[in-house]
Amino acid sequence: MTTYIYGIAHRTHAHLPEEMGGVGDPPRPVRTVVQGELVALVSDAPEDLRPKRRDLLAHQSVLAEAGAGGAVLPMRFGGVSPDDDAVKAALAEHGERYLERLEALEGKVEYNIKAAHDEEAVLHQVLAESPELRALSEANRQAGGGTYEQKLRLGERIAVAVQQREARDAVLIQRALERAAEEERPGPQSTGWLANLSFLVARERADEFVASVETLRKEAPHLVVQVHGPLPPYSFTD
Amino acid sequence: MTVVPAQQGGSGGTSGLYDVLELVLDRGLVIDAFVRVSLVGIEILKIDVRVVVASVDTYLRFAEACNRLDLEAGPRKSPGLPDLVGEITESGARGKSKGALSGAAQTISDAFQQARDEAEPEQRPRTRRTAARRKEEQE
Repeated sequence: MTTYIYGIAHRTHAHLPEEMGGVGDPPRPVRTVVQGELVALVSDAPEDLRPKRRDLLAHQSVLAEAGAGGAVLPMRFGGVSPDDDAVKAALAEHGERYLERLEALEGKVEYNIKAAHDEEAVLHQVLAESPELRALSEANRQAGGGTYEQKLRLGERIAVAVQQREARDAVLIQRALERAAEEERPGPQSTGWLANLSFLVARERADEFVASVETLRKEAPHLVVQVHGPLPPYSFTD
Repeated sequence: MTVVPAQQGGSGGTSGLYDVLELVLDRGLVIDAFVRVSLVGIEILKIDVRVVVASVDTYLRFAEACNRLDLEAGPRKSPGLPDLVGEITESGARGKSKGALSGAAQTISDAFQQARDEAEPEQRPRTRRTAARRKEEQE
């Protein structure tokens, strides 16, 4: 029977969600594998494990529960070990590094921030900042919208200005939020937000972090800012 | 099996569930000795371009949007936006008030709700994100 692994905690972790339902259908009960100072949160792996929505959620839920009781190193979804002994061997081999990370993550959670422009608001800003673009736009308007070439010429200039704002705003977001955070990492690249950042935040400063997001939203109303968290510190395991 | 479509129909929104699960699939500790489940067939890594792309379509869209803008009125937001933002913040705050990561599960269930909502475009005011417009134009 292969073993599915959710995360790794210190042996002294007081509230590991043993018996909680994990991956699989029916859900395989969560149990622990102890090795030295460390404990791995595992369950039997279903034979045909695939990244189905319910399994992704089970992985996330087990880690959320475990994280509520103390530091946990979250595994990426889908790690399967041949058996419990192989889990012990991995814990023994990398134990020092895992203990160091657990110590660093104690009392901290991840917040993932994604931001995009509110298009109408950002166009307003771009025109407000550039008399030249305003004049071009006004000329087009008076010509009933302008010819195809006029529209292209204006649109291209606007697009350049908006792209510059995207870069500027990515920096603005980072600076506005980093003060309340311990660490930050870029989010997965493929999604194309103007900013996709993960912040490691101390639990006792979570209010401060969320308040800094609120301040950012007020000060930069042309940004649509999404906050996801608190999450297990997926982005801070190494 | 497709788990989480990165985009839901023509609603102009994106799945909040996807926004969290990308971390579950793309971040987190990996132990080299272990086998990883194949992600073949999952569309979660699909590129969902929200940033401005230099293209004729974009240029024309911007030019026409500027033509419609009322510069005297100041920036306006679509009515749906504050609600959306409120929901997300609230879920974060709820998590915190529980004092623990249990809030994350709430975030996920909210994300599901959001994904469902967004699958029903008629019932949800459009947000005016760059990509929302972009998708409209493509349809």
